[in-house]
Amino acid sequence: MTGSTTSSGADLLTSPQDWLREQPGLANRQVFRHALARLADVEPRIVLLEADLAGGGDPFAARHPGRFFNLGICEAAMLDIACGMAATGHVVFAHTFAPFGAMRACEQVRLGLAYARANVKLVCDYGGLSGAFFGPTHHAIEDLAILRAMPGMTVVSPADGLETIQATRALLEMEGPVYLRLGRNRVTRLEVARPAFALGRAMCLREGGDVGIIAHGEVGVSVALDVATRLEAQGVSARVVNLHTLKPFDEEAILETAERTRLLVTVEEHSILGGLGGAVCESVATHGVGRRVVRAGIQDRYDSTAGTHEALLQRHGLEASALVESILNALPRPRLAAMAPGARRG
Amino acid sequence: MVQVLLEERARRIRRTILRLAATSVGCHLGGSLSMVELLVVLLGRVMKFRPEEPRWEERDSLILSKGHAAAGLYAALAEFGFFDTEELVQRYNADGSPFTGHVNAAVPGVEFPTGSLGHGVGLGVGLAMGYRLRQRSNRVFVVCGDGEMGEGSNWEALQIAAQHRLSGLTVLVDRNGGQNDGPTEAILSQASLVERLRAFGLKTFEVDGHDLDALGRALEEPSEEPRAIVARTQKGAGVPMFRGKGPHYATFNADQLRRALASLGEVTP
Repeated sequence: MTGSTTSSGADLLTSPQDWLREQPGLANRQVFRHALARLADVEPRIVLLEADLAGGGDPFAARHPGRFFNLGICEAAMLDIACGMAATGHVVFAHTFAPFGAMRACEQVRLGLAYARANVKLVCDYGGLSGAFFGPTHHAIEDLAILRAMPGMTVVSPADGLETIQATRALLEMEGPVYLRLGRNRVTRLEVARPAFALGRAMCLREGGDVGIIAHGEVGVSVALDVATRLEAQGVSARVVNLHTLKPFDEEAILETAERTRLLVTVEEHSILGGLGGAVCESVATHGVGRRVVRAGIQDRYDSTAGTHEALLQRHGLEASALVESILNALPRPRLAAMAPGARRG
Repeated sequence: MVQVLLEERARRIRRTILRLAATSVGCHLGGSLSMVELLVVLLGRVMKFRPEEPRWEERDSLILSKGHAAAGLYAALAEFGFFDTEELVQRYNADGSPFTGHVNAAVPGVEFPTGSLGHGVGLGVGLAMGYRLRQRSNRVFVVCGDGEMGEGSNWEALQIAAQHRLSGLTVLVDRNGGQNDGPTEAILSQASLVERLRAFGLKTFEVDGHDLDALGRALEEPSEEPRAIVARTQKGAGVPMFRGKGPHYATFNADQLRRALASLGEVTP
């Protein structure tokens, strides 16, 4: 692992942007580890549980060894144990890879975290296809659909390093179970003005009137911003909404975006079934908003082809150029119709 | 003298369980009756708790991992003052009541909702680790079924209990020999349970699960290690008409209730 909290000049808590600038190579999932280690300096109730996937040099383990428990390869027991510890007043962070946290131990999450409302924060990296070469055993394309269906869960998918820090802080300030979803590889530092972070409140990163692009996560939001820039070059303006919290779901932001634009697009590193794409369709259809929704995401298949993360994403159409084309094909054309009514089809 | 009182408590708990079996939804009868002495010794002799303050910080914890035996736990909690027995019988499965057929943490005295099996040991390990980290000495008791020991997550958690030498943790296995689909030995044998618990690093006792004194001694003997108690019990224990083979689930009519209560030694109107 590169980077450390202690050798850095800037303080992660008070100057997160400066701290991130001093850690240019740190993937978001490592940013989380530093954020948690720093927060644990000031919050003694935090404990961190691992199931043999902490990796080397974890800053939390180094700084707070008495509150760090590597339990061994036993995700199911880890999450039951997390709920037990939380019941004695600790704020329990439990980490593993997304396929194991969300699916191998799914029923522990349902019973202990969701139903029993434990103050446990389940932090899973390897979201989406980010496990790439390791294959579908280590991919998680279904996790958000599963977690989103559990009553009482808070489901968060940060877009970059800064949002990972902000989300980690926010989780501490709320009581209750959380699924925090991270990737594996990305070092994202979005250079975009953004409103203050608040759990459950979508943030508009860019205004536009033609297309409403709603995205989450390390891949989704970056692709969405890239798509918006490319569309602008073609005379199409896009509103970009970062929906970092999938649950509670900011339906108001979705409906507002639907009303202000002519086409909705969802972008996420998750199956096109049941994640953000599914959630937006549910909202739009429920409220009778007549908007078509283009769902960019992972196609409904397990992809057992080796290759880089980027190549996998491309195969599923999760990259800007392919998405721009789909959007232009799907976009209704009222302006052209207004200018030259005779040119309008059918 | 105390012993007599505990035996009387056990009899009253059984009476309540039989009454719950005679409601419209019935109850998991055999496994509720088999664990009555376990609960009576825990609540009546070993555990620290305050029924009027169920979340008291100093309390010892009881987790019913075999949460389908809800009728047994509810009846015991009522006997020990967490709520009124008549209220339980009236509101069992009533619309809007917390008394669901698998234990519900909305019921005073219930620490966790269970009944999906294989969770209690992990939850108990977590409590024991959490108390140790807070430098507290609260004890934690988990009651499992023997059929339930087929769940792998229990064994994951037992390994961790031993690794961390959680001496505050006790796992009791209600070895009644029956499970949903029939005899445990015919389905997935637990014949080596005692040896396996011992091999996993738990200080393991095997006792007659209806012997209050033997249970009490096993629970009170000092231990540096997490403790396991394999309690040999009978499904439907305490109600002679079942001859040690009470039904896994039962819904009694009025006549069946009358006969069961008579068998328990009750004179009924």
